[in-house]
Amino acid sequence: MYKIALDLALKSLMRRKTRTLMVIMMIALSLSGLLFLQGLYDGMVSHMINTTIRSDSGDISLYAKQYRFEKNIDYHIDDPEPIQAYLYQSEEINAYAVRLMQEGLVSTAHKSLGATLRGVTLEDERKFGDFYTFLSQGKFSFGPKNQDALIGFKLAEKLKVTLGSRLIFTAQDANGEINAIAFRISGIVKTGNLTIDEGSVFVSMETMERFLTLPNSATQIALRVKDESQIKSVQDTLQKKFKTLDVLRWDELYPLLIQMREMMNIFNWVSYAIVFAVAALGIFGVILMSILERMREFSIMMAIGTPYRNIRYQIISEAFAMALFGYVFGALLGWGFLLYTASVGIDLRYFEAGLESFGLNAILYADIRYYYFFQAFAAVFFATFLSVLWPLHVLKKIKPIEVIQGKML
Amino acid sequence: MKLINISKTFFPDSPKEVKALVNINLTFEEGEFTTLSGESGSGKTTLLNIIGGLERASSGSIFLDNLELTALSDEQMADFRLRHIGFVFQAYNLISVLTVRENIGFIMKLLRFDEVEIDSRIDELAVILQIEDILDKFPGQISGGQQQRVAVARAVASRPKLILADEPTANLDSKNSERLMHMLRTLNEKEHVTVIFASHDRYVLDQSRRIIVLEDGAVIEDH
Ligand SMILES: Nc1ncnc2c1ncn2[C@@H]1O[C@H](COP(=O)(O)OP(=O)(O)OP(=O)(O)O)[C@@H](O)[C@H]1O
Ligand SMILES: [Mg+2]
Repeated sequence: MYKIALDLALKSLMRRKTRTLMVIMMIALSLSGLLFLQGLYDGMVSHMINTTIRSDSGDISLYAKQYRFEKNIDYHIDDPEPIQAYLYQSEEINAYAVRLMQEGLVSTAHKSLGATLRGVTLEDERKFGDFYTFLSQGKFSFGPKNQDALIGFKLAEKLKVTLGSRLIFTAQDANGEINAIAFRISGIVKTGNLTIDEGSVFVSMETMERFLTLPNSATQIALRVKDESQIKSVQDTLQKKFKTLDVLRWDELYPLLIQMREMMNIFNWVSYAIVFAVAALGIFGVILMSILERMREFSIMMAIGTPYRNIRYQIISEAFAMALFGYVFGALLGWGFLLYTASVGIDLRYFEAGLESFGLNAILYADIRYYYFFQAFAAVFFATFLSVLWPLHVLKKIKPIEVIQGKML
Repeated sequence: MKLINISKTFFPDSPKEVKALVNINLTFEEGEFTTLSGESGSGKTTLLNIIGGLERASSGSIFLDNLELTALSDEQMADFRLRHIGFVFQAYNLISVLTVRENIGFIMKLLRFDEVEIDSRIDELAVILQIEDILDKFPGQISGGQQQRVAVARAVASRPKLILADEPTANLDSKNSERLMHMLRTLNEKEHVTVIFASHDRYVLDQSRRIIVLEDGAVIEDH
């Protein structure tokens, strides 16, 4: 019996190609939309996290105890050499960057703003987070005499300075005396991390040590692990090893990122639900239509003795065959979109100003995760299932003869 | 086939109550070619539907040989229809995605006749009903008269005991009506299939051997 139903389903699909293709297209398009949306949102979030890790926190950062709360160079790490040596030989650690930071005032002839001066080693930062890729103008260099500086692009805008401009930075040194230092801007960086873009100036480690009269010291040692799943265990090991230091993960240092990610997740789910609802409604509509318009035909079939279960089997087979093809095409299409946006990205320079205040880059890259495709599969088949339920219920209820005589529907 | 005290009331005990059939007693013999006739609203369709098990009687019973049809469940009745009754409705009888050939063979297929037998039966009927040329067309591509002949072919294909046809000629012009009736008559004579119509069409009445006239749900003439 089911062979006949299956045969009829196949013929219905093949011999009403326009309708069949329409349904398949609808499913495919809405599905690819779902996939695309998901990948893009996840891409946005991981991009934000990634730039923060690369530009500042690393996977894990070490600080002297109290430094995080008071931001005072009294709480610095003395003699970071042995720690560096340990990190260097550690199997789990990929790269590290030693930094010496002090808050102060950065000034031009016309304006002064609060900022953080960061003493760094460019070569270490390059290994640590490809820092040079953040350079938007100028050179990734502190000049031949280590007298130049890199500046966050937002800060540069606020101060109205450009490449070659001179700046004065004023701050307390280790002895509590207020000192000033002058430098020329050699490069402007744009990281997507607001703390950096809005309030940081980078100088060489040597310049910084001299300026603060604090040789052989650091306020932060940031590191990258080889395997992200190992972050927690590396943190524990380091904390045990360096009891006098704070050993903190990126998500502990930037709890806002986690909140942001959770917010985005909700946002993601809500938009997913909306697109899904629209798609499901569409699928529901076309499948319902395709059954209702054949109600008379199904009634004739039942009147002449075709068992109801045969017709049910036919309708289910038709719907799920279309869902399957719709899924395959939709998944391929969505995958294509995602591959493209994962590698080439979407240029959102048009909305740039707005997005950067969220810490987003102008070019968005999508993430691709396998679970998208499982989730989409479940979504499509759930929608299809829902859309055959109601017509089947109607079909079971009707008296065929009344439909045939036009007394019903 | 014996109908004993068949009555049908629509919307019983409500202001809209309609007594469509009142105490019908009739016997049909094998090989009959009979028309239920009467004015509009007299109960022809209702009686035909009850005989075919598409509608349930409010009271009374129908026996075929020793089987009480009125006692069957819906599912058993559907199976009975499939095996023993052929239907021809007023119009649009066919499954639109199937070709004429597939439509004719549909019931035989459901009854698991083998392919060779189905094909030879279709060819045989196609000759009688003059539809050989359209076997590979779809219902949407043929005329109303041709569609009705295909419906007849499907109804008789599996050699059911009984063919029920409600106004099969209502949508046909006189030439096509005459033709359809002539062919049904031929089939009746050749294959001894019992045919019962509900109709007030002159062409149907002219061809019938027995005419049962209904009025207000009761038999007033039977000859
Ligand atoms: N499903 C139904 N619900 C309510 N009343 C019905 C139903 N079917 C038929 N009737 C009523 O039963 C009576 C007999 O109707 P029926 O359709 O059997 O007449 P008919 O002789 O076939 O008429 P026609 O020549 O117009 O087809 C009519 O009064 C009709 O209104
Ligand atoms: Mg009628």
